[in-house]
Amino acid sequence: MPVARDALTETPLAIRIVARSAKWVILVLYLVIAITPLLWLTVSAFKTNLEIEIAPFSLPAVWQFRNFANAITISGLHQFFLNSIIVAVVATTLNLLVTSMASFVIAREEFALRELFFTATTAGVLIPIIAFMVPYYTLITHLHLFDRLWALIITYSAINIPISMFLVSSFMKSIPRELEDSAEIDGCSFVQRYWRIILPLARPGLVTAGTFSFIYCWNEFIYALLLTSSRSARTVQLAIRFFTSQFRTDYAGMFAAIVLTMIPTVAVYIFLHDKIISGLTAGAVKG
Amino acid sequence: MRNLSSKSNRNRKWIVLFLTPVGVLFVAFFLYPIVFVTILSFMEWNGIEPMSFIGIGNFRYLFADSVFRTSIQNNVIWALSAALLQIPLALVIALILAREPRGWRFFRTVYFLPNVISLVALAMMWTALYNPEFGLINHLLERVGADHMTRNWLGEIETALPALIFSYQIYIGYFMVIILAGTLSIPKSFYEAAMIDGANVFQQEVHITLPAIRGIIITAGTLAVAFALRQFETTFLMTAGGPANRTPVMGLYMYRRMAGLTYGRAAATGVLIIVLGIVVLSALQRVFGKADAVEDARQ
Repeated sequence: MPVARDALTETPLAIRIVARSAKWVILVLYLVIAITPLLWLTVSAFKTNLEIEIAPFSLPAVWQFRNFANAITISGLHQFFLNSIIVAVVATTLNLLVTSMASFVIAREEFALRELFFTATTAGVLIPIIAFMVPYYTLITHLHLFDRLWALIITYSAINIPISMFLVSSFMKSIPRELEDSAEIDGCSFVQRYWRIILPLARPGLVTAGTFSFIYCWNEFIYALLLTSSRSARTVQLAIRFFTSQFRTDYAGMFAAIVLTMIPTVAVYIFLHDKIISGLTAGAVKG
Repeated sequence: MRNLSSKSNRNRKWIVLFLTPVGVLFVAFFLYPIVFVTILSFMEWNGIEPMSFIGIGNFRYLFADSVFRTSIQNNVIWALSAALLQIPLALVIALILAREPRGWRFFRTVYFLPNVISLVALAMMWTALYNPEFGLINHLLERVGADHMTRNWLGEIETALPALIFSYQIYIGYFMVIILAGTLSIPKSFYEAAMIDGANVFQQEVHITLPAIRGIIITAGTLAVAFALRQFETTFLMTAGGPANRTPVMGLYMYRRMAGLTYGRAAATGVLIIVLGIVVLSALQRVFGKADAVEDARQ
């Protein structure tokens, strides 16, 4: 950036040298701190248990790919992966469906309580959801959903309403009205306006909201712990909790299993990090 | 005109229909829980027999329980360390990246990466890092000749809480991203004018950047404190409140009261988490001015 470079030339030489080297020291040091543990975990997942104990800093002599196969056999991770995928995909779909309907009405129609509805649903993000352990537990039990995937699907799609409402409705507000106006003249109904015109145009907003929802659902732990009890409804995050007792001293196997659980969200991040970062900043920087 | 009003009447049905799903879920998962948890905090209830009203009995029990007092105290320590260590670190890194040095987008992307990994996986990873036998941290200390500093990080009373907090607050990605975005939105012309006046880099940061992003720093601080009050996973998985009941937080305390079928006490803990959050939010706003935390937090 020219501005930054000019700024530096205006600065005395000593300060310039200190600032420049301090800058890179901080950036690299923090990079090491933030990433080394993850690299160590990932590389260790390919080692033998002996190597983990006696050679913590070296690469594996032979990359033990079978650690991962063993990890799946020992932990039964494939079943919990399936549960987590079902929960994350269905909850995200449900969340996007209901919030896009409400956002469409908020962005396009005039009606009483419009502002209140929007403010209330989006302000929900400030509430510490953890405080609702007892109400969610009793609610889910009364609905006869305890220990079923539907318990998590409904809970997660509700918890993500505030963020999705904000992201999707602000995106829909930015879509020009002209298309709908001409479609309406052509006899397009209310539902068609939503389904055929606005929803396809709102895709970028839906992708951002969907990404946040998916990552949340995949990583959620507290309500998975509270609202399920058996293996049939166990998600990946809950499964991790049992690794310590399942793998005992097989640290390599345990690390391999943990690495496997990280793959979906890291993959989503690799493909969609621009969406995620712009979604985060949409709220932080106004006008 | 006639045509238009009949159209809006026809639409009214659809408007209601389209708002209903979000409305129902919002009432069931946000409004009803607030009301229910508040009422229940004044009740004694084991989940089976009918509730009975006991006034402020639950709250009196909580404040008489030394484990609960430790929990609140620990939440406060979490919050203070977030405000004094996590946010300043995020700020320094954001200010450096906002000068757009070579590769700044790469740094931003990598720094944020741990934020998409679950707290559960990170907790397991840090438990391994702190492990007294094969953990990387003790290995590193031995490697640099500081054998006397090796210890059972999560098992010893003096180090357990700092070790937990460090493992969580070292990840600044989220705060860095919002502070960075705020800093990047400052018009470049501000800096050009300052340079004509001969201001150096540090003077520019102090006199232009910091005042301009004041609101976002306060928002980040408020959110960091709010997250500190919601702690659960890290403590639950890494120490389960130990050693010697030194590391519990309110979330963990609430979970234990639920497991013990004392739902009234659990609800009272939940109410205190909400109330404490509101108190902190309004205190911060009173001290630093209105930060629009509500707006900003809506991502």
